[in-house]
Amino acid sequence: MDDLLTVDKLTMRFGGLTAVDSLSFSVPADGLHGLIGPNGAGKTTVFNMITGVYAPTAGDIRFNGSSVVGKKPFQICQTAIARTFQNIRLCPTLTVFENIQIAQVKNLDYGFFTATTHAGRFRRDEERVAAETFEILDLFNLRRVAHEKATQLAYGDQRRVEIVRALATKPKLLLLDEPAAGMNPVEKQELMELIKEVKERFNVAILLIEHDMKVVMGICEHIVVLDHGAKIAAGPPAAIQADPAVIEAYLGEATH
Amino acid sequence: MLRKYWKAATLLGVVLVSLLISQVEGSFNQYIFQIVIYAGINIILAVSLNLINGHTGQFSLGHAGFMAIGAYTAAVLTRDVVGSWGMWIGFPVALIGGGLMAAVAGVVVGIPSLRLRGDYLAIVTLGFGEIIRVIIQNLDFVGGARGFAAIPKLTDFFWVFAIVGLVMWSLSNLVKSTYGKGFLAVRDDEIAAEAMGINTTRYKVTAFVTGAFFAGLAGGLYAHYVTYITPTQFSFILSIEHVMMVIVGGMGSNVGVAFAAVLLTVLKELLKLVPDLLWFLPEWLLRILENRMLLFSILLVVIMILRPQGLFGEGDWVRRWWRKLTGRGRKAEATA
Repeated sequence: MDDLLTVDKLTMRFGGLTAVDSLSFSVPADGLHGLIGPNGAGKTTVFNMITGVYAPTAGDIRFNGSSVVGKKPFQICQTAIARTFQNIRLCPTLTVFENIQIAQVKNLDYGFFTATTHAGRFRRDEERVAAETFEILDLFNLRRVAHEKATQLAYGDQRRVEIVRALATKPKLLLLDEPAAGMNPVEKQELMELIKEVKERFNVAILLIEHDMKVVMGICEHIVVLDHGAKIAAGPPAAIQADPAVIEAYLGEATH
Repeated sequence: MLRKYWKAATLLGVVLVSLLISQVEGSFNQYIFQIVIYAGINIILAVSLNLINGHTGQFSLGHAGFMAIGAYTAAVLTRDVVGSWGMWIGFPVALIGGGLMAAVAGVVVGIPSLRLRGDYLAIVTLGFGEIIRVIIQNLDFVGGARGFAAIPKLTDFFWVFAIVGLVMWSLSNLVKSTYGKGFLAVRDDEIAAEAMGINTTRYKVTAFVTGAFFAGLAGGLYAHYVTYITPTQFSFILSIEHVMMVIVGGMGSNVGVAFAAVLLTVLKELLKLVPDLLWFLPEWLLRILENRMLLFSILLVVIMILRPQGLFGEGDWVRRWWRKLTGRGRKAEATA
């Protein structure tokens, strides 16, 4: 298999509760996949396992051919998986620029002592970081707010900054956890354009969790549906929309 | 060219001026001079604690413990090992030895900080400080509870303020660099920082080790200034004073914290004069005012109400004023 991400019989139990039950799916290197399901289906738990926040009870997660199970979140980020959070997690005391800057910490050439003396490679490396940060801010039209406190931006902009920050880590796989949550229809439309553009321009695979069906059906090529931790359907959007198991999970069993 | 090196040049200037002043320090009023030295030592302690508490957001109450380790290690080194090497070689070796011992202790305290946060970490570090004090009390070769006497008086204006310059320079450099932004990210949102590829574990331990190292240097300076140290001098009240300097100055602002260190050191001395200056107040009120810790606490409460972010905290007036004056700052950065 040449897939970028392969999730194999992934299981997570919290005490007696099975949050994710033997889930298998995969995302190719150019995929834009969706992970949907009713509330409490275990979607964010899957993200947390892929990014190392939780250690799975059983099963395997392979990224780029090697297992990432057991790695710490920062190590997983260094293998080129980046994520955003359901509740935006920007650093509140830092500016937009600095929020993007911290995504570059892992790519620095210099260490602690150079940082304290600003000697040697320091200047060249800092200039590179600043240039790259401004470049990516320009791409997303965020330079005008570069020195504003990130949490003072409009909600939609904060979501964008979070996506930009994840991209600044130079990922091959981007995990978006409910990127459209709390957005109005116009912002949602813009977000869909943004996600498509990001995928083209940055050449990343995207896996997204989303409740908004318009967004999911509008941009995802392939959708995995979870209910009570188990995969109940998988396929292209049209097939998912017609799948009786999916309709049942969302709307309840039809009575005759 | 000048702009590129102005910081290093400032450091060099501070060192040279300190050296000059140290040559004529006998001609100053010795009481005032002593306050100046204490202020310098407190700057080192407060700014180094600011890296742990202010920038990295790990609430430590153990700075007196690190200081004690540095003080006793340096004193022992001077007595037993480097005493005959002279001021220009022996003393720095003793100071650095003290700093390194404190840094080792920083690793020991840093490790629980990986699992604990907030109040729990504060309690562990508080316990650490007390353990250090009790251990020293029971070590006979450093005098135990009787104290360590007859330490040569090697600390002078030069050593104190050269190290003040060093700590301000290196720690300001650190938090301004991209590398240093990692500390701020750990403070702001640990989960996000970790998800962005920052090794939060390493950052926390680094903060503790660096802070402890400078606290150890300050301890060595202190020991070689007062020439007589006892374990009780390094009680947890001292740690509280350091934390107060950080809070009053504004968590995360090195300049503010240094300012607060000077302010509180001077204030502590001025409060001794209160009964003389305010002689017209009734006797019972003067009795209360004589209690310095009481006034300190009131000051802290007032600052917390009026300026919860500290004197030089977020959106500080000095930086705004400076920007206006020089035209540097926001605009220059945005077009850089």
